[in-house]
This record gives sequence, structure tokens and C-alpha cells, in this order.
Amino acid sequence: MKILVCMKAVPSTGQVQVDGQFRLQRDGAKLQWNIADEAALEAALTLKSAEDTVTVLTMGPAKLEDPLRELLARGADRAILVSDPAFAGADTVATAGTIAKAAEFLGDFDLILCGRRAIDGETGQTPAMVAAALGIPCISNAESVQLQNGAVFVARRLESGTVLLSVPCPVCVSMCEYTYTLRLPGIMGMRRAKSKTVELLDSAALGLSPQSCGLKGSLTKVISMDSKFPGLRNGPKETDLNAGTDALLAMLQEVVK
Amino acid sequence: MISQNALRHAEKCRFCFMCRHLCPIQLQTGKEVNTPRAKGLLLSMVNKGAAEFDKDMAQTMYECLICDACVNDCATGYQPPLYIREARTEAVVNDLAPQAVMQLIENVDATGNIYGVQKPSFAQEGSDVLVYIGEVAACKVPQMAEGLLKVLAKAGVSAKVLDNEPASGVMLADLMGYVDEVAQQAKACAAAINATGIKTVVVLDSYDAEIMKQRYAQWGAEINAEIITATAYVAKLIEDGKLAAKAACGTLGACHDDDRLARTFYEFAPIRAIAKAAGYQLTEMFNKERLAKSCGSAVALAYMPNIVTKVAAGRWDDLARTEATAMLTASPEAYLCLSQATPEGKQVVDLYSALAE
Ligand code: SF4
Ligand code: SF4
Repeated sequence: MKILVCMKAVPSTGQVQVDGQFRLQRDGAKLQWNIADEAALEAALTLKSAEDTVTVLTMGPAKLEDPLRELLARGADRAILVSDPAFAGADTVATAGTIAKAAEFLGDFDLILCGRRAIDGETGQTPAMVAAALGIPCISNAESVQLQNGAVFVARRLESGTVLLSVPCPVCVSMCEYTYTLRLPGIMGMRRAKSKTVELLDSAALGLSPQSCGLKGSLTKVISMDSKFPGLRNGPKETDLNAGTDALLAMLQEVVK
Repeated sequence: MISQNALRHAEKCRFCFMCRHLCPIQLQTGKEVNTPRAKGLLLSMVNKGAAEFDKDMAQTMYECLICDACVNDCATGYQPPLYIREARTEAVVNDLAPQAVMQLIENVDATGNIYGVQKPSFAQEGSDVLVYIGEVAACKVPQMAEGLLKVLAKAGVSAKVLDNEPASGVMLADLMGYVDEVAQQAKACAAAINATGIKTVVVLDSYDAEIMKQRYAQWGAEINAEIITATAYVAKLIEDGKLAAKAACGTLGACHDDDRLARTFYEFAPIRAIAKAAGYQLTEMFNKERLAKSCGSAVALAYMPNIVTKVAAGRWDDLARTEATAMLTASPEAYLCLSQATPEGKQVVDLYSALAE
């Protein structure tokens, strides 16, 4: 069984900044792995038996090499960094296209695990788009995943409850962030990771033209962005719980108007 | 592989020197390299490629009690133990940790405790609370465990103690940082506690209480019960009138606030309530409560006995500046360390045994 886990490095909460073209600034920001992606990796490591391999893949700047190595220490067998200046500014379509290309390049995966959404963009589109690009089914919002006889059994969270699905591999599953806690790196894992290399894939290796990836390959463009709560820190203060909830409700109603 | 977060704590230090003169290890060894800020500086140099993380540096990282005195006093909020723990992980991964430390890790691997012995059992049945004894009390200070159980029986509390009580993980965490091996111990311990179904866990050793309360949940090792330190629990029994105060014994004592009660839980009143109920007249050492000087930890005592004995002697020096003749403690770790350096004419008192008598 070959399992691929797609990981995204997101700015630590409180450090989110955008540039003049409304692109997230990752350069100076402290990055952390997206929490739902960590859950996806833990799910993969929980499923993994001795014959299985877990590959982690991320798309981002070269500085993610060390954080990727840490994932090797946590139990992943292989780490792939998809990195190229040409990939900068990719929207979800361009990102999913690039990740799908990388997945194809790396070989046939039986299971692709992702987080259900990233805490920076919050679109939740990429897993389904990766699956579509690869022509495999996608199950979103998974709370748990199990493997049996070449099929995955997934508990999928819906508004009204949980449905249990069984889908033959290959399949892509996007995980909720709250059911799996990523394990710590172990001493043996850290020793193993020291002798492993993080493999780099750039646009040339993936055979991607500049037009088909990054900002140029994106179908969407952010044309404006503004805060609905300008000067929030100087806003009204309420110490009474009921009055505070009423004021917050009024503010939210104003936003959704 | 020191994390970015730990490096931030190491590199942003503004060299105000405040932590320099309160580090008990620095005070006893007199080595500049043993100040908390120097340890940060060393790791910062490694990060910048100006120094190598070698055996000497690893040794330095182990010359620390993880007592948190520096954390308590750093006005800028830096936490030297954060990077010291990670440096220890690095040392173990790269086979640079001192031989004595590696031996203790092997002992934990074989038996669950640093002493490499089968942990003595205090197993008993009960239903009100589960008492977690811990490795140090079970292996080195059994009279304190027995004292606590007698106190609880006296108060009419039905207390269960697990047979084959699993290790909490705290010893391994001090030896090699917060790594998966520690989390695995935590999970096994939480599972054993949860299996009892008891909703209150009274923890004798505050070091065990700290890791259970502050770390277990992050590692997916939730305990489905309230964790309470033994000092807080017994003090409540006294307050509720379930334990009668003993007659005055005529001895003047000072309470030693152990590192975790002092700087993790900020529990100062319970130990004093227990000491009074045990019949002691109380005075205070100058360095008390959050500023209490460490007397050492059981793990550090095991791999650097000479230094920790000096540290314990330093705490006795604090007592010598008072009229007290008794150092009062409810911590097995503190009892063990203080006992290494008890001066003539002074005594270290295990408060549970004193209350149980
Ligand atoms: S934790 Fe204690 S022993 Fe360690 S550096 Fe800080 S003050 Fe010194
Ligand atoms: S007290 Fe804090 S800022 Fe001052 S020297 Fe120590 S670690 Fe640095």
C-alpha cells in the first residue's frame, strides 16, 4: 500500500499578512503545518503496516526542508518538496494541478490523504481538485479512515450525522482536524531521518510550463480584500456576557447583510 | 533539530542577567556556562554555525534541573528549559549524551524507572480516589507513599492504588525531552488510569502531576478524571474537618516549596496547612513560594549526584538562616535530594508520615 499525504505550511495564527496583490506572505512569517494535514499524516501513520510506505509532500519554499525532515522523524518514509519560483501565487486549481502532477510523477498511490481545508485560505477545494485531476474519487470531511482488502472505510461527517463509506482504492480522502493528534518525533525516528534526504521536485522535473502553474496557471484572481472590522481593537468593550453576545450578534448580522 | 520556537527563546534573550544569579546549578558549580542565558547562547552559536554541538555542550545541557526558576524570573518571558529539553533530544539522537544519562534511559527502557528495578507495588482496592504513587516514591521514598495512604485511610477515603502502576513518562521527558517514547508512556499510563473508571486521581509526586495535567492531552493521552496533587487533596481533607490536627510537636520547621508546586501549580498554602496539622510551628525561608530555590530532582540526582548534593546543601543553607531545625516537605523528589545533605542537628520531615503517626 502506497500512501501519499499532502501537507501545507501555513502562517502561525496571528501572523497572517497579505501583499499588495492580496497574496499570503509566507516569507517572513513563522510557518506551521496545517492542523488538518497533521491529522491526515497521523491517520496515514496509524494505517501503515511494515510493507506500506507513507510519503509526505508539500508545495512551498526551500525553507520547508527542515520541517519536512521532522515529518520523516515522526514516521514518514519519504519526503517530497515541490518547489519552484514558478509555482508562486498558485490558486487552488494551479496548486491541485501541480500536486496531481507530482503524485503521477512519484507513482501509483493507493491512498491520498489531505487535510479537509487549510487555516489560511479556508477554501477546502484542493483535495477534491487533486482527486479530479487524477481521475480518482474523493471523500471529504473524514473523521476516521481504515483499510481492508484494498478498500478504504471512511466515517464521513455530515450536518446530520456520520455516514460510513467504503470505496475501493485508489482514492483521495480529506480529513477533519480533530480526530487524530500527530505523534511526536521519536528518538529512533530522528536517527533514521538524519540519513534520509528530502527530495526536490521543480517545474522542469514535473514537465510543467510556466503557463500551467503558479500565478499564470491560476484561474482565479483576488481583486480586492478588506477587513470587516477595521479598528476592532478600539471597538466597543462589553463586560456583561449577555450584552456582549447581543452586540457581537448585531455585528455579525451587519457583516452578512 | 532545535525547533524555531525554542531557538526564538534562545536567541531573543536580552542578557539582563536576572536569571544568572538564581540558577541553583550555576550557584553551586560557579561555571558561567551553567547560567540559563549561556546555554541559550551556545545553542544560538550552533544554529549560526559558529560552534559545534559536541559532547561538552551536551554535558552542559544536562547540568540543569529543569527547575523553572529562570522561567519564573525572566521578565521577557523566555523559557530556557524549552531549549534545554530540545538540546537533550538532540544529544540523545546524536549519541552525545553523557554515559550516566544513557544508562538511566536504558534503565527506563527495561523497567520504567531510572533505577532499573522492579517498581515496588502499593496496590490496594478502593473506590473514592485513585492514588498515583510514582517512580521516585515507590522506589526511593516508600515511607512517604505509605504515609499518604495512611492519612487517606484515617480520613475515611477509600483509595485505590494500581498494581503494576505504569510510569508517567516524566523521567524520560527530563532525560530526552518531549519525544514519542514519552508520549507512548503517557498513553499507557492514561489508559491504565481511565480503565479504573475512578474520577479523582491524587498524585503524590508533583512532577508526575505536571506532565499529566499539562502534556497528556496534547499527546492524545487524555485522562478522564480530575488530577489533583496530594498536597491539595490532603489540605482539603484538613479544611473539611476530615483530618484532625495533631498536638504541637514543639519543633520549628520551614516548608520547602518543591519546583512544580512552586512554579507550575502555585500551590503554597496546602503544604503549610498540612505542616500545621502535623503539629509543626512554622517559619519561612527567604526564598519561598515562587522564588523557592530548588533542592534538586530525582532524575538529576541519579546522573549528577555530586552537583545535586551541593544544590541540596544550598537549600539547607537557606534553612540555616532561620531558627528552624526541620525542613518540611511533601515531595518525594525533594525528600530524596534533601536527605543527601542533611546537616547535623537538622532533619528533613516527610509531612504525610508525620501527619499519619
Ligand atoms: S531550569 Fe533551573 S537549573 Fe535549569 S537553567 Fe533554569 S534556573 Fe538553572
Ligand atoms: S532573565 Fe531572560 S532575558 Fe534576562 S538573561 Fe535570563 S533568559 Fe535572558
